[in-house]
Order: sequence, then C-alpha cells, then structure tokens
Amino acid sequence: MKTEVDVKRIRMFISNIPSILYILILFYIPIVILLAISFTPPRKFIVEWVFTLENYVNVFTNPNYYRILLNTFWIVIVATIMLIIIGFPIAYYLARMNRRLGAKILYFLIIPVEINYLIRVYAWKVILGENGFLNLLLISLGIIEKPLTIFFYSWVAVVIVLIHEWLPYVIVPFYVNLVGISDEIYDAAMDLGATRLQIFRTITLPLVKPAILTIVFLVTIPSLGEFAIPYLVGGQSGIMLGVLIDRYLSGFQLAIGAALSFFLLVITLILSMIMIKIFGYEALYTR
Amino acid sequence: MSKDIVLRVVDIWKRFGQVEALKGVSLDVYRGELLVLLGPSGSGKSTLLRIIAGLEYPTSGKIYIDGEDITDLPPYKRDTSMIFQHLALFPHMTVYDNVAYGLKIRGIPKDEIDRRVDEVLELVRIRHLKDRKVTQLSGGQQQRVAIARSLILHPKILLLDEPLGALDLKLRKELHIELRRIHQEVGNTWIFVTHDQEEALTLADRIGVMNDGKLIQIGDKWDVYEQPKTRFVAEFIGETNIFECRVVEVYGDRVYAEWRGLKLGVKTDREVKPGESMYLSVRPEYIGLSKDKPSNEGYNIFHGMITDEVFRGSYVMYSIKLDNGEMVKVTVLSKDAEYDPGDEIYLYWRVDKGVPLKE
Repeated sequence: MKTEVDVKRIRMFISNIPSILYILILFYIPIVILLAISFTPPRKFIVEWVFTLENYVNVFTNPNYYRILLNTFWIVIVATIMLIIIGFPIAYYLARMNRRLGAKILYFLIIPVEINYLIRVYAWKVILGENGFLNLLLISLGIIEKPLTIFFYSWVAVVIVLIHEWLPYVIVPFYVNLVGISDEIYDAAMDLGATRLQIFRTITLPLVKPAILTIVFLVTIPSLGEFAIPYLVGGQSGIMLGVLIDRYLSGFQLAIGAALSFFLLVITLILSMIMIKIFGYEALYTR
Repeated sequence: MSKDIVLRVVDIWKRFGQVEALKGVSLDVYRGELLVLLGPSGSGKSTLLRIIAGLEYPTSGKIYIDGEDITDLPPYKRDTSMIFQHLALFPHMTVYDNVAYGLKIRGIPKDEIDRRVDEVLELVRIRHLKDRKVTQLSGGQQQRVAIARSLILHPKILLLDEPLGALDLKLRKELHIELRRIHQEVGNTWIFVTHDQEEALTLADRIGVMNDGKLIQIGDKWDVYEQPKTRFVAEFIGETNIFECRVVEVYGDRVYAEWRGLKLGVKTDREVKPGESMYLSVRPEYIGLSKDKPSNEGYNIFHGMITDEVFRGSYVMYSIKLDNGEMVKVTVLSKDAEYDPGDEIYLYWRVDKGVPLKE
C-alpha cells in the first residue's frame, strides 16, 4: 500500500516538473535577478556587480518618488472606487434579470476587451483629446471658448481609461457572486421585515465580499504597475510609478529601475496581505 | 377547534404574462389550525402562499387577516412569516444571527433579542448550535433554524412552502412529528404547502386540494380522503379505483348504474337521472376478497381472477381482472393476504363506500 502511494506521489511530482520549471525560470529567477541588480550602483548602460544600498536610499529620500507613489495610489484608488460604483449596479441588474438574457448581455459587455488595447486608448483620444468630441461639444454649446487639454493628458483621463479597461473585470466577479445568491434569500429577508436598504446592507453587501476581494487582486493591484495608460494619456498630473520605471529601464538605468520595481512589488505584497487579513482567505473560495 | 376565522382569502386571481396561475381561489383559515394545501406542481399553491405572504400581489381579489384588508401591504407589515422551499438561511451568518435577524431589523434591545432567541431555539431544540455557522449544519438542523427564524417574530400565520422537499424520507418523517409538536406548543395558524399526499395526511387538520389554479376541495382530512368530490381529488390522495358508469335506475338515494356490462349499487345524496354518466371511486382498502361467494345485503359483489400481487410491507396490493375484463386494485393487510396470482376470487364492497364523483 505504502509504496503504491509513494509511486503515485513521485509520478505526480514528475508530471509537475515542467510547470514548476516554467514558473521558476520565468517568474522567480527574473525577480531574483531584479533584486540583485537593484543593489548595484546606479550606472547607465552597464551593471557593475558591487553591492550598494544607494538606489534604495535614493528611493526612500527623494520626495519626487513619494509624490509619484501617492499619485499612483490616488489614481488607482479613485479608479477602483468608480469601477465598483459603476460595475456593481450593472452586475446586480444582470444577475437579477432573466438568466439567459443576463448572460447574453454580459458577453456583449466583455467583447470590447478583445479589441486591441492601443486602439481603445486612441479611441479615447478622439473623444477626450484637444480636437476631440467632448471639446467640440462644449464649444458648440458655448460652455467654453477654447478647447481644453485637461480631459486628456491628465490624471482624470487615466482614471477614465482605467475604468474603461477594467470594467468587465469588475462586472464579471460581481455577476458570478450575485447570481449565486438565490431570490429566496432576498424574499426571506423581506419577509422577516427588512426594507430594501436594510437588505442591501445586511445581506447583499456581506455576500459580495468575495467579489470585492477578487476585484482588488484582479484590478487594483495590477493597476498599480500600469505604465502604458499613464504614458499615453496621463501627462504631468497623471504620472504613475510604472511610467517612471519604464523610463529608467528603457533609458538603460537598470539599477534604479530595478529598485523602484522592487519597491512597488513590496508595497503590492503588503497590500495583498492587508486585504487577506481583512477578508480572510476563505473569501476567495467560499461565499 | 373553534371556527374563528383568522385569514380570509377572497376570489384571488393571478396572471403571470399569458399564464393564469390562480383562477378565483377563496378560502377561510381557522385560528390555530394546520391547513395543508395539496396539489401537483404548477397547481398554484405556492403562488397562493406567496400572495398571502405579500411576496406577490394578486391580479384581483382580497386578503384579510383578522378582518383587516392586507391585500396591498408589503410583506414586512404583515403578521405572516414564510419558510421557504430551500429555507433561504443567510449563509454568512451564525444560527444566532439568522434567528435574531427579524428582531435586529426592528431595533429590539439586545437583551430582549438574546432572551427570545434562547426561548425559540429551546422550542426547536437546537439551543446548543447557537454559535454555529448555518452552513455547517445538517439538513434537519437547518430546517429547525428556518422555523425558529420565523417563529421568533410570533407571526399570526406561519406559511411553509414545501420546506421538507430536499430531505430524505426518514428525516422527513421525524420532522413531521416535530412540526406537529411545535405547532401544538406555539398554537398559531400554519399553512403548509406540499405535493406529497402522505405528508398532507400526516400533518394536516384540514386539507385543501388545488389543481390548475383552483381550490377543488377543502375540508377535514378524513372527509377529503373518504368523500372526494372530483376524480382529481380521489386519484391525487391515496390509491383508488375509478369506475366510469351510467345511471340506469334511481330509487331515492339508492342508484343502480351499469358499468361495462355489470350492475353496480351506489348511494348518493346527489340528484341523478337515468342515462346520466357517473364516475365512481372505490378505495382499494374498502374492497374485500373472498374465495366463496359472499351473500351480504347492501354489497356490490363481483367475480374475477387475481393477475398480480405487490407486497408493500404492511399490506399487499392485488390486481384483479373481473369477468367483464376490467382491472380492479384491492389492498389487503399482509397478515390476511392468503391469495396468489391465478386464484379465482369474489370481491365485494359496501354500497356506501363507493363515492360518486363530479367529473
């Protein structure tokens, strides 16, 4: 018996070697290399293998980085809150309506995600840009005289595009979560004397905790590292840490870029741990 | 039982799109009784319950509780509470939080809530499970939580919508006894909806039989079983034999009818005329068997042959082919079941045990 189990285990292990190697080589080894580079002196084009804390001293003392870090958080938090405010009612409505129709509409909401990311960002330019639809509309209504640039190349534009980018990833977890709550649960709460608002507060909200946790992991945390959207539409007020890291890395200042990356990674980890502390691991797999 | 009416349902119609779910149901429910609404799925019984609870509004008709028109009141303003088919316990809460929910919503002080939760959990005998999450409980325990959650509000009328449907037979039978005990201890009015005739007979004081959006017959459960008014009721509750016959002679309440070449005696209070067609229901347990020809006055006596027997534990059901070629079911207690397939047999029933039906 015992040897049989052992054989099974060994087989299982062997069959998992490719995936383990894949994760090691493509995820963990780069992180280790990144960590190593972040402790080398800040040099352009070359990596000098000498240990130094200079980059980290720089990261922690340069107020510029703090400003950008705060900006990053501000943008991502505003976007997340807006996403939840917009996404929840849509998901709620879809989940409560006829199942077939709700699922069909959901597909139509997801399809735009398949369109290339850059095309969508440029599409926003047509709407928000200096000669864009919004400016033309405001001018023709006589509200403004000259086209405004604040719609584009600003943190507001980053938030708008982030919302556009991530909305389906907010609607789907909410939808899946809400569809799992049967009509009977709402009926029962109503029968026991709860008003609509009380039902929302005592039943719906606690039951969608798993969806909120999923959204934080799926949307909020990845958004912290976003660089393309702020790079394309952010301008000065919309700058994010990712843009800075990209700037250093493409400028071949690997060491400082690596230190900033690592800094962001640690912040992300701390954030994840706080979320898990608040919601509990169970929220990820039970409802 | 006093005939004090607590709930009055008057001519309720309900339409869902093209579907007429209820077609003019009227019903009086007496204070303190356990009324079972029995019917096949789609008969409108659950819809009626939801209308009484206020979870649906009728297309037309009125509902009164203690004389007060509550037709348009929302559920949280009604003196009713519902136990749902799938119980609808709140999965993110403990037993305590589930049971206390209705009181918390109403802003009752904490110490009174604690006292009433203990009291009602004592009643349903799960006080020891107070701090468990409801998702960790067995089906039977969850059932008790659902009952407690409703009873804590002291509703005048408790509505139960097939709550035992998901449980296995043994547990259901256990809970039937428990439900009757709780009903007697609490003393309020219960309306229990089910499609299971055995459950209905076990639990009910009175049974209302529904079909196709109509209340077909309501009455004491013995009466409904023994004096079904229609073929549907006769066939839905218990086993029965239906004879399609034609009235030939009428002598007051004594009628003779012709059934596939045989002459049947029937007793009926109804006005019937010769030539009229009639359905007659005879329960298999009211038919006696004998190897020798019985000569009892006031009995219908026929001859046939046993073609099949089905052993059902405490009784045996025989299928008998009569001389006119028709099949009749007869049940006999197992201790008296001394016949075998192939036996020639006489069967007989008292004339007043045949119930003439309206359609």
